[in-house]
Amino acid sequence: MLRRTLMASAVALAAAGLLAVPTLAEAQTLTVWATDQLADPLVAEVWNKLKADFEAANPGVTVEYMPPTGTISNGAVQAAIQSDAGPDVLLTNSGIGRVTTVVNAKLIAPLTAHYADMGWKDKIFPWLYEILGSQFGGEIYEVPDGIDAIGLWYHKDLFAENGWTIGGSWADFEALLQKIKDKGLEPLAVGPRNNANGGHLMGNFLQAAAGTTVMGEVVTAKKSWSDAEPLLGAQRVVDFAKKGYVSAQMAGLDLEAATRLWTNKRAAIFFGGPWFINNARKNEYPIDNMGFATIPSDLAGESKPTGGIGWSWMIPVSSKQPELAAKWIDYILSDEVMRFRAEHKTGTQISPRAMPELKPAVPVMAEVFAAAANGVGFNPSVYMPGAALDTYFQVIQGLIGGQVSAEDGMAQIQAKIPAL
Amino acid sequence: MTRLTTTADPADLRAPAATRRRRADGARDGFGAAFVLMLPAIALYALFSLTPILLTIWISFTNSGGFNTEANFVGFDNYLRATEDPIIWPSLGRTFLWLFYHVVLAGGLGLALALAIGRLSRTRVFFRTAFFLPHLVSLAVVGVIWANIYDPFYGLINTALTQWGLAGWAKGWLSDPLLVLFSVNVASSWQGFGLYMLLFIAGLQNIDGTLYEAAEIDGANALQKLWNVTLPGLSEVMTFVLSLAMINGLKGFATVFVMTNGGPFYASEIITTYIYRLAFQAQDHGLAAVLCILMSVLAITITVAFNRWRARKSS
Repeated sequence: MLRRTLMASAVALAAAGLLAVPTLAEAQTLTVWATDQLADPLVAEVWNKLKADFEAANPGVTVEYMPPTGTISNGAVQAAIQSDAGPDVLLTNSGIGRVTTVVNAKLIAPLTAHYADMGWKDKIFPWLYEILGSQFGGEIYEVPDGIDAIGLWYHKDLFAENGWTIGGSWADFEALLQKIKDKGLEPLAVGPRNNANGGHLMGNFLQAAAGTTVMGEVVTAKKSWSDAEPLLGAQRVVDFAKKGYVSAQMAGLDLEAATRLWTNKRAAIFFGGPWFINNARKNEYPIDNMGFATIPSDLAGESKPTGGIGWSWMIPVSSKQPELAAKWIDYILSDEVMRFRAEHKTGTQISPRAMPELKPAVPVMAEVFAAAANGVGFNPSVYMPGAALDTYFQVIQGLIGGQVSAEDGMAQIQAKIPAL
Repeated sequence: MTRLTTTADPADLRAPAATRRRRADGARDGFGAAFVLMLPAIALYALFSLTPILLTIWISFTNSGGFNTEANFVGFDNYLRATEDPIIWPSLGRTFLWLFYHVVLAGGLGLALALAIGRLSRTRVFFRTAFFLPHLVSLAVVGVIWANIYDPFYGLINTALTQWGLAGWAKGWLSDPLLVLFSVNVASSWQGFGLYMLLFIAGLQNIDGTLYEAAEIDGANALQKLWNVTLPGLSEVMTFVLSLAMINGLKGFATVFVMTNGGPFYASEIITTYIYRLAFQAQDHGLAAVLCILMSVLAITITVAFNRWRARKSS
């Protein structure tokens, strides 16, 4: 009797197991480390739609957004992956310096095969694909989500009222900043305390002083940081700090504090990429009043924004769903998603491939596209080797705060650059 | 009662052989039982304390670039690199300064407030709770709050100073290299003093009230009572608080990381923030492990030296 009961129970359990197996196999959860601004209803609107559409196209799949706790820059990505608490797929700030850190630590998976089998090669600009393919002996580990174009943000009304314009020579730029200072405003706002924003300012100064070609050689270690051209850029930061165009107290500000200073119109100009539109919007600044300009340069044709790959998708080696993660990235690269994101009110980045007839919801984005039409210069923060990146950011703080001379600062950066 | 010792005492030697054997068996059984009971604790200690310590020592002799990479033995290379690194030694100096600030600010404030409210009767619970509250706030949140208080343009301090006509005193609290470590430490100490205050209050309650009566009869004033009764009565607690404050001071990390990220230009870089930067940003685990060992040696040396000094002083 007992044996029969046990047999019956075993058969029932096996049957239940067999029935359950296909259900379990189909039910998959994809954990995604995406934006850290999901609390913003407008941003949430975008990402919730992406989630819903992806789930509808992939029955049985549930997308779960994990609130990101940081980026590669602050070590959060590395810590999350190493402790096996990371997502299946993640979006983080990138650039070769940062990506090298996680590649060398073997924390992210190569995606080269997917560039071929999923056609990603044709879904990004050819020059972008070329850069990515040249970084790790042909192996590619990231998929660009957008390209940055860092320039100068100004208040249209304030500049119109005072007859101020950004342009002309470097001397004209200095004269403008002096007028702004005389008006009792902070000419330039920057928040280098949490690093990246200091890099935005410095990159622009280097671009204006050295130009794209020279800076290309500097960031690829073919030219020294201590050479005359980049040194001039650093010296100008020091001079501006001395003249009060960029206050020494800015060295203690972070991005949020500097943004507040600008959106409250206590500062006239802010260095940032198109993502700054969202920062301003969060501070309830009227977006229509935002103007975008490039940093003046005495070098012909070099007044252009700086940039590079701003944010990229990566698949951690600890991903439980690497294939599904690749499917997610493929979905993000689709025309439909790219257009939806670019034309949404929160669409503030330059797509990684040409998007004809794009109608950005934010008018100033047209100015950004126009400024970047002739290409962008180098934002060293995203090209700098990982070992030198922290020194670079600290030196920028030192230049603004008057703690280090341009010569010493650039020599310290150069000392951290590995020889090619 | 179970005997945990296996050392024979004279009584054992006088007892007949059979009795001695029985006692020895009992002691062995007792030790076995004690060992089994302690096993979970030993296992947890081995897993979560001993293994990481041993692994850290091992990593310090390798070129480990992360948990997923191959780590090759490199001998004392990382130790040599540590001696040549231009950031480490100034950071170590700042770590000691940070420790000093913490002991003085958090320990001092804890003692001062304990003395101020220790003898209150009706309002003591209220003040004790109010002053302890900051200790319940996470250090990361404390960092964000104080970074806003220190904001040079909109912060509470500079705004108040400007409104009181003291604009000249308004500073870049987090940008001035001479001020930044102190400023961050104030925030950290604000979070930490509550615990020390509670310990001092507990110490004050243990001082015999008749000592104060005797001092009053002898004509002692408040300062003399403080110096001759209260402070000597608190010496044990003070020792404990000092040890705790020193260890907490050496562990300082979160507020620095949140408020300044070690800047500007390394002016607030302490060893712990540099370890984090090396280990998790640059993935240079070998050098980071060397600094962890250095920190441990420092903490042990300071604590042992302090306890010996205290023992010598009290004897």
